[in-house]
Amino acid sequence: MIATLAEHAPLFIRPLPVWNVWWLLMLPLCIGVAIVYKSIKCHSMKSVPREATVIAIWIILGMVAAAAALAGLMHFIDR
Amino acid sequence: MSDAPRISAPPPLVALAAWIIPGGGYWMIRQRNRGTGIGVSIIVLFLLGILIGGIRVVEAPPAISQILQRPWFIGQFLVGPLGLIAAWISNGLGTTAAYADVISHSRINEIGTLYTAVAGMLNLMAIIDASFRAGQGKEV
Repeated sequence: MIATLAEHAPLFIRPLPVWNVWWLLMLPLCIGVAIVYKSIKCHSMKSVPREATVIAIWIILGMVAAAAALAGLMHFIDR
Repeated sequence: MSDAPRISAPPPLVALAAWIIPGGGYWMIRQRNRGTGIGVSIIVLFLLGILIGGIRVVEAPPAISQILQRPWFIGQFLVGPLGLIAAWISNGLGTTAAYADVISHSRINEIGTLYTAVAGMLNLMAIIDASFRAGQGKEV
């Protein structure tokens, strides 16, 4: 039964071939976390889209900064 | 006295509803927009994780005592019955000859696992928040 199910939904069975763009997968996760976090925190749901956009941008900028700092550190250590 | 409407749902029931359907706890305390936004986001994140890494990223341990060998399943379990169904299908596929070797590796496996586990951790936040709001007895 499960094998039949798998034949009808192969998209969710086999991994996506996204090896070369794996870093782009950070974006939906950041956006999802921002939406849920702000939906919990904001008093009114009307302010969620704007607040979630702002915090998603901050999360992405923070991760880019952390990646740059770690890359710099590794470059310094490898010298 | 506050004008906010009284909400009579008991917090444990709200927590259970929030686990069964992500965002369902907020529906019980009549915060439907909040529940829809949170529920859809959590379910989409979980499904994206399965889409990216394949359903085999949801790995239930063979016994509950071995949960520390696969701690990410705690997060996946927190998504609710959706996580349990995914684990059942994943374990079933692992025993079939055609799909036993269909499993993601390296970064793709890690990213898929991360998505599914983070979805569960976000649902835990939503469960706690919805229960707290129900316990306050009014809209907070």
